Amino acid sequence: MLCSNLLKSNLKQLSNCLKSYSNVAAVEGQKHYLKPRQVWIENLDTIDEKKLGLIDLHPDVFAANPRIDIIHQNVRWQSLYRYVSFAHTKVRSEVRGGGRKPWPQKGMGKSRHSSIRSPMWRGGGIIHGPRSPTSHFYMLPFYTRVLGLTSTLSVKLAQDDLHIVKNLDIPTEESSFMQELVKSRNWGPSVLFVDEVDIMPRNITVATDEIKHMNLMPAYSLNVHSMLKYDTLVMTEAAVNRVISKLLEALNRNDGNAAMEKFKLDQV
Amino acid sequence: MSFVSSIVNGLKAWNPLKVPVRFRYHSEKIAKGPTIRRYGFDDNILQKGPLPKVDPSYKKLPMPEYRPKDAWSTKRALFGQNDYIDILGNDKLHPTKTLYNLPSWVRGVSGNEFQMLIRKKKIFHHRAYPINRPTKWNELNKRIIYLYKFMNRHTRTGFSKQ
Repeated sequence: MLCSNLLKSNLKQLSNCLKSYSNVAAVEGQKHYLKPRQVWIENLDTIDEKKLGLIDLHPDVFAANPRIDIIHQNVRWQSLYRYVSFAHTKVRSEVRGGGRKPWPQKGMGKSRHSSIRSPMWRGGGIIHGPRSPTSHFYMLPFYTRVLGLTSTLSVKLAQDDLHIVKNLDIPTEESSFMQELVKSRNWGPSVLFVDEVDIMPRNITVATDEIKHMNLMPAYSLNVHSMLKYDTLVMTEAAVNRVISKLLEALNRNDGNAAMEKFKLDQV
Repeated sequence: MSFVSSIVNGLKAWNPLKVPVRFRYHSEKIAKGPTIRRYGFDDNILQKGPLPKVDPSYKKLPMPEYRPKDAWSTKRALFGQNDYIDILGNDKLHPTKTLYNLPSWVRGVSGNEFQMLIRKKKIFHHRAYPINRPTKWNELNKRIIYLYKFMNRHTRTGFSKQ
């Protein structure tokens, strides 16, 4: 009974998205042992906060056991998978010059050498130095990334760093409005505003443009690193529903085996 | 006979009232202080006390000026933005497909230098690279030949996949 109310807002979206995963709605409706997490819906119109209603958040997404090790793995993956080191050193064959034998083998009283660019020489090649480009790419398993997202969202909610708003409409373009709002509500210096789509209302875009530590993101851009970097996460109702439905889709999909196969570049 | 007489003479010289003694009471010895050893040795290394004042005209060692990085520049504020786009957005768009700023043969691959060079050669050998960059192409090929010999003859290659 609790859970049927819980999923009213989400089921529609769920059923739209999950044509091939028709068992999800049935499964989610059966979970009477999980209590939904209830959160206030606040407003952004005025500096003082007004509570406009309540929203139920699915416990699989917002009440997951916070796995700190999985969160760490996700943050490390995000930092490294795109990183390519372009440090480069020349090997003795690549250094300019060094083709001729500098002096005869015997008779000079000098030590024997065959090239002035051998690694023993000053200005010679480097033997085992960095060779560009060195990629640090790897993929985390699919469900590790999903678990990272659910853990971080749960952590944000549990630590009172998650706020849900009706929409991102504010009355003025002034950035001082945002500063005062955030300060009066104790929202933490850095705030991440998440909406459902990437086209945002004009006022908030202009207001947060000047402030470096307040940024806007669409729902599909949400990630573990950003959620940890920003002190407060402010999501619109639509964004929250979108994220919940996408994560439930990921958690309940039928072809999980396919998703957990080893990553092959050509098969993506 | 002679040694017996020498013993007797020694015994006569020994007077029990005159005994050689270093100190009467141990506390007197302690009160004197520690025995000076290595007398006249001058230890030049400062063991205690304030540091000596250095002449300001002395050149200080160079240290770079500390410049903290801007933690909220656009790049850093939005780092990791679309890494979960295949979960939260389009199923078909894998994060490796968003690596626009990387060289094309490096996107979504990892390996040692030998594997990366072979991949680069496979991608570019029928394009303009050998004609536009002949020296670099030659270096690439030389490096592949050298690495083949080094990796297969001088390092452990791991288990065979047969």
